[in-house]
Amino acid sequence: MDKNVSRRGFVGASAALGSLLALGACSNANVGDTPANDSSKESSKTSTTAQVSQDPREGCEVSNNWCQMCGAAQTNCCVTCYTKDGKLVYIEGNPDAGNNGGQETHSICLKGNAAVSMPYSPQRIQYPMKRVGEKGEGKFERITWEQAIKEIAAKFKENKEKYGPESLGILSPEFYPVLGTLGRRFLNVYGSPNYMHSGICALQRMAAGKISIGKAKTAPAQMDKTKLLVVWGANYGNSGMNKGNPAKHVKAQEKGMKVISIKPMLDPMAARSDIWMPIRPGTDAALGLAFLNVIIGEEFYDKEFVENWTVGFDELAEHVKPFTPAWASEITGLEESQINEVAHMLGTESPLGIIYGNGICDQANDGNWQAVIPCLISAITGNLDIPGGGGAGKKMPAPLVKLNPVDRLTDRLQASEEDKAKGYHAGMAKLNAPEFPRWYQNPKTWESGPNTAYYKGIMSILTEKPYPIKTLLGQKSNPMSSTRQPKKVAEALKKCDCYVAMDTTWNASCDYADYVLPAATGYETSHQIALKNRPNGTFIGMNNGTIEPMYESKSDWQFYLDLAVELGMGEDFWNGDMDECLREQLEGTGITLEELRSAPKGIFIKREDGAKPEEPTYKNYEKLFEDLPEGKVQCKNLRIGGKPNNTETGTLGYFPEYKGPQETLQDKELAEKYPLIITDVHAHRTCQHGHYHDVAYLRELAPYPWVIINPKAADKYGIKDDQWVRVESPHGYVKLRTKFYEGISPEVLMTKRGFAQPCDDLGLEGYPNYDGGSEINVLYDSEIENFDDFNSAMAKQTLVSITPWEEK
Amino acid sequence: MASQVGFLYIPNRCIQCWACQVSCKQWHGIKAGSIARRVVVDTVEGEFPKVQRTFNSKACNYCETPACLEACPVGAISKRKDNGAVVVDQDTCISCKTCVEACPYDVPQYDPEHGEKMDKCDHCMSLNVGDGEETRCVQTCPTQALHSGTLEELKKKAEEMGLTVEPLDGPLNPSVLIAK
Repeated sequence: MDKNVSRRGFVGASAALGSLLALGACSNANVGDTPANDSSKESSKTSTTAQVSQDPREGCEVSNNWCQMCGAAQTNCCVTCYTKDGKLVYIEGNPDAGNNGGQETHSICLKGNAAVSMPYSPQRIQYPMKRVGEKGEGKFERITWEQAIKEIAAKFKENKEKYGPESLGILSPEFYPVLGTLGRRFLNVYGSPNYMHSGICALQRMAAGKISIGKAKTAPAQMDKTKLLVVWGANYGNSGMNKGNPAKHVKAQEKGMKVISIKPMLDPMAARSDIWMPIRPGTDAALGLAFLNVIIGEEFYDKEFVENWTVGFDELAEHVKPFTPAWASEITGLEESQINEVAHMLGTESPLGIIYGNGICDQANDGNWQAVIPCLISAITGNLDIPGGGGAGKKMPAPLVKLNPVDRLTDRLQASEEDKAKGYHAGMAKLNAPEFPRWYQNPKTWESGPNTAYYKGIMSILTEKPYPIKTLLGQKSNPMSSTRQPKKVAEALKKCDCYVAMDTTWNASCDYADYVLPAATGYETSHQIALKNRPNGTFIGMNNGTIEPMYESKSDWQFYLDLAVELGMGEDFWNGDMDECLREQLEGTGITLEELRSAPKGIFIKREDGAKPEEPTYKNYEKLFEDLPEGKVQCKNLRIGGKPNNTETGTLGYFPEYKGPQETLQDKELAEKYPLIITDVHAHRTCQHGHYHDVAYLRELAPYPWVIINPKAADKYGIKDDQWVRVESPHGYVKLRTKFYEGISPEVLMTKRGFAQPCDDLGLEGYPNYDGGSEINVLYDSEIENFDDFNSAMAKQTLVSITPWEEK
Repeated sequence: MASQVGFLYIPNRCIQCWACQVSCKQWHGIKAGSIARRVVVDTVEGEFPKVQRTFNSKACNYCETPACLEACPVGAISKRKDNGAVVVDQDTCISCKTCVEACPYDVPQYDPEHGEKMDKCDHCMSLNVGDGEETRCVQTCPTQALHSGTLEELKKKAEEMGLTVEPLDGPLNPSVLIAK
């Protein structure tokens, strides 16, 4: 806690700001019959004094922004912001942007609503700081931006000369558009391939699809035509709520769509399903193999499709024979009869859509195969690219204007001799810790360039293998919560030659930084443009710079430009002028930067050519599978099978395999000491990963680090509801507060990570990221050799014990 | 009575995302950590693994014969003639909390931040919402589980959506329709 105290002492001056958070005057319900100008009549029950009925938006300045609450610089939803005397007071959804899956409403989720106070958080980092104490001590001195940029650039330069450009790594918190564009460009020009990507991402799920079913999809793009929807480890009620899936889901149900939810907890979205399969966390590959066993064994598959469009089907059929529902029942904890029942439904009900999500694929040791399985199920049951089945979206009319993407200058990354000799793409041989195998990462499969796995890359600082990352830049990323085992991450950050952290609010990793920089929120900047093409027109929105940047906070986009200029790379970075970069994006649109920047609701160009979304060509298999070996679905995976894995310690398999978490109930000895399985929801609708626990409207809905437990399990271990408990795994222990719930198995606990931020407005504390704190990542296994050998996914399941918390 | 304002709630569309609850607070300037004019409650029935979970987004039910109004000793609560809204005059309210006891739906709230005056949903009339615009909780709902308007309008809307509705089950003839 000392760390917190010294840091809080330093930024403490901001606490007074909390009192400004009354969020405008309270307008109570004095709204009787009598109009405002007629308050003379008294004493009737239907008249009131002080009539205050008025639209609070009147007299406000109006501006447009991309909502920042599902991730900094994400462009899912556009919001209309209202400011009064320079202060953000109201936010509503912008109907022109078609938020919420295309709805022309003011809809915005709870986070979008709660954002009104976000820029004013007392947790804001106020000015650039430089470390003065030991690393991790959390002692800093205030410096100017000028000094910060100068010194950071000098360090970057020094380390580039001493250790080579690849000694620089940039942490990618998620798909963060600043990094995906300017960050990549910076790395490419500077000469490092080390874009350090989390390994916990839709990228993992996309890759599983690409290598097995090519460009086809399992998720239905026309859900209104889906007969059976399987929601497998996905929770769109928590993550990307306003992208439209929840609304489509509940409305399709009204038309008769059946829903199967496969997930350990009956979460609010799962409550809207017909069948819930309460699977043990991390065992989804076993369930999937059993589904394949039944579908193939009982010949539910589409014989014509299998004949024409798959390779290795017979071998797959042989491979899955041992994986019976009885076998899977032992591993998954599900009833054998339920596995059979659902397998029958998958094999017989069509159109079938499968939405697989974060809970499988990118957070399990066998994540890649977990996600390949639903792809194969969707394929062999003949559900790919049919209306209501996988993919098969209507063909949208072309956008009426197009934005020019920011050029990442990919060709500037130099190919080494080894790259050339091995046929790799430029930079691959020098990649510190390939997230996906080196041979796999190329322009067709990359996210936006080569990726080093986040955790593995950080560990190179400790192991110095193959070489240590020396300079580390983290923007809006908190390695103490974004990846596994903060204890090891802290060790690495202490040893890191130079760690620069830039964020809007203090995050736990800032304590270990050499420089801490204040980032502006999206509401304070005007550096992002994005486009949404919709059936009735094309919307272009830009952050309008709704409020002045708080304190000395600076745009993340501008930071790259300033640093590049100081490093002598200015020519490739518009000589530091971000507006030039924006003008480049708008070139050819006929819209000027000034027009867009001052458009209070963005610009919507109405479609007047009468074009409408059209029926696509269905079952377009030749096209969809064109990038796959033999142009067919990979029942036997020739795309990756037999090739080197991502750690280059072995080769990848051809068929889906169940590996399971490192610690399972099958290990009787371990299970005696740690009898419960724990996992976490990863994303939650009251926060954005480790961020926004300081936002009062959100924090009041989840004030304490919670752990959900079945009352029967609690009873067994002498635990009460709403009680602080010690949850201990073989890797660490945390302090959590119980919530009783019947919608979870008595052998499973569910929790959430990232409770480090205090919420000053509510007087609630933050919890440290070490043993005894509340960061769930201290509980999980973090041995690199156990991670998925194709996509680097790390297990988020382990075994724990639970006891009442005792203060030592 | 000319018309009666109320809400239409479609429980099967609700995913307890809390957007209605937070939007209400944002627009009415209600401080976090104090009261809530609208809440989404969670009902769990059964035992693992046979569990039924339902949600209810609750605010004032605009009863035909409001118990709060009858109970208020100083006449601070009234029912508007034009639209049937049940409203409170905070200047008249004496903070006796009699209405809290009287309301069978636990609607009246008391916020110490605002001098312990009775506070509750006002159908966004204080925001001048009403002329074609739905209440804030409704406008923000990502799944269109909630609708506002007069009972006539709401019945028509439900019919258009192909939904069967029934009045909220409870005393005092509440003006809330629930879709089955």
